[in-house]
Amino acid sequence: MSPLRDKCNELKRAMLKTCIDAGTGHVSSSLSCAEILTALFYGDVLRFDPKRPDWPDRDRFLLSKAQASPMLYTVLADLGYYEKSELKKFAQTDGPFGVHLQKSVPGAEITCGSLGHGFGIAAGMAQAAKMDRTHHLVFTLLGDGELYEGSIWETAIFAAHNRLNNLVAIVDRNYQCTLDFTESSLALEPLEEKWASFGWNVCRVDGHSINEILGALKGIRSRPSTQPLVVIADTVKGAGVDLMACVPLWHGTAPTGDEAKRAMEQLERSFEHGRD
Amino acid sequence: MAAISQRDAFWERLYDLACEDRDIVVIAADMGAPAMDRIRRDLPGQYLNAGISEQNGLLVAAGLALEGKRPFFYAISNFATLRVIELIRVELSVMDIPVTIVGVGAGYSYEDSGSTHHSLEDVAVMRAFPNLTIHSASDSVLAARFADISCAQEHANYVRLERKTLPDLHKPDVDISKGFAVLRDGPDGYLLSTGIMTHRALEVADELAAKGKKLGVIDLFTLPPDEKALVSALSGCPCLITLEEHYLPGGIGSYLLELLNTHGVSVPVKRVGLTFAQGYENSYVYGGRDRIHAHAGLDVPGILDQIKNVL
Repeated sequence: MSPLRDKCNELKRAMLKTCIDAGTGHVSSSLSCAEILTALFYGDVLRFDPKRPDWPDRDRFLLSKAQASPMLYTVLADLGYYEKSELKKFAQTDGPFGVHLQKSVPGAEITCGSLGHGFGIAAGMAQAAKMDRTHHLVFTLLGDGELYEGSIWETAIFAAHNRLNNLVAIVDRNYQCTLDFTESSLALEPLEEKWASFGWNVCRVDGHSINEILGALKGIRSRPSTQPLVVIADTVKGAGVDLMACVPLWHGTAPTGDEAKRAMEQLERSFEHGRD
Repeated sequence: MAAISQRDAFWERLYDLACEDRDIVVIAADMGAPAMDRIRRDLPGQYLNAGISEQNGLLVAAGLALEGKRPFFYAISNFATLRVIELIRVELSVMDIPVTIVGVGAGYSYEDSGSTHHSLEDVAVMRAFPNLTIHSASDSVLAARFADISCAQEHANYVRLERKTLPDLHKPDVDISKGFAVLRDGPDGYLLSTGIMTHRALEVADELAAKGKKLGVIDLFTLPPDEKALVSALSGCPCLITLEEHYLPGGIGSYLLELLNTHGVSVPVKRVGLTFAQGYENSYVYGGRDRIHAHAGLDVPGILDQIKNVL
């Protein structure tokens, strides 16, 4: 198994433990983006310095789908933005770690939780970088349910028109919202065509394959395009845990009792993706 | 100097400031002004047209501010505020990001355009948020000064401008530090108002003076103002009449009642403004601002009729 796959599995387990201990947290949304965050933070994609969260030359990473905060908290703790023991404060007294994201968490960049916000802020940050002629990149992770927000498409128009090729959006395409599957409640497809028609470079990957995600982001600093890039990452909400995977209504919930035990056991098995 | 519109006064001053500070960026939601043309022409690197997409405009402004820019987001008042209110809440209030919203079209400014273009609730809504100040201009002198204030603000700021060109009320060196100015002293009480209604307040005061009642006039242009100073100015006042081209719930009259209550000051207050019983029917009275005001009871006779029992 690759070191990145090992790391990803370790992060998933740590995230799940954090949520089980706290009795809350969006576990299924976190599991769908575990490989995406692993690729970005451990796959030599993002530039960052945990000791200097405000380092001006850092790449910005905005978790627009901030319900997946437990996954990001876990990654940031593992990287040393703060002690891993801090995760015990998730949704507890004396900590900055809420169910949704707060700017005061080192590395968080923004307060977020309401959907359709982070993407536009990311575009503003990318625009500022263009104005200042700085070379860092701005990444943002969107939920697919978030794409129902009209603000997303307003920003998509703006970013393409202003040639923000320093902006990278990744869509965690897990096909589910809270109540139902996207395609049966309000169809989002064809997504690639939608983004392309808005003037974006588009690629689509298996969002649980770290190698595919890294492939899509290869050479990201020297992309021969004036346009922003969107990576549509097909994922499974609750991936790796059978009782959650593809089961609506697990949104926003942490497992308890026997279900918690079963979920942890499944994540403790060496999960190896076929393409990694 | 002939009076100019508030938006031209604001953008003229901001143009000068933007020439000196390259971090000043204007994000317009398909909204112009003659003075804005200079910014577009001379400072293209500091101007963005967000199109008719207020959500994106506000979010981009927030992103720019997080990177150290000083953004000014510009649209018709109610589109710049009510249309994007939840974004204002999260980005400007919760995250405390210093964006300046510049809204043109206070009250019935867009007279014949109907309710969609009237701003009759924005003060109530915008003053509900921590970390956000409202600056409401009654003349172009204040509008220009608000450009300077906005550049020095550490928090978000809503500059509420009148569309119509109004005569200047304030001297260029007016002290704006307290957020209000006493335009006229009055032993018999005060009329307190904002924006265009301060002009109306002066007309009402003139009318009453001819009848032997000397009412003072206070122009309230910052919310919240220096509250201690305002309470001090109002203490002992025989009566206070608030005038607003805005619905009464949550407006400046409502604010004054809260302020006096908080400070335990007892002053008889009469609020004159728009009632819910009026609905939006005033918005569909055509033929100009004065006709709307007459219909809404905000013309001089209408106001005198409403306050006759408190004087």
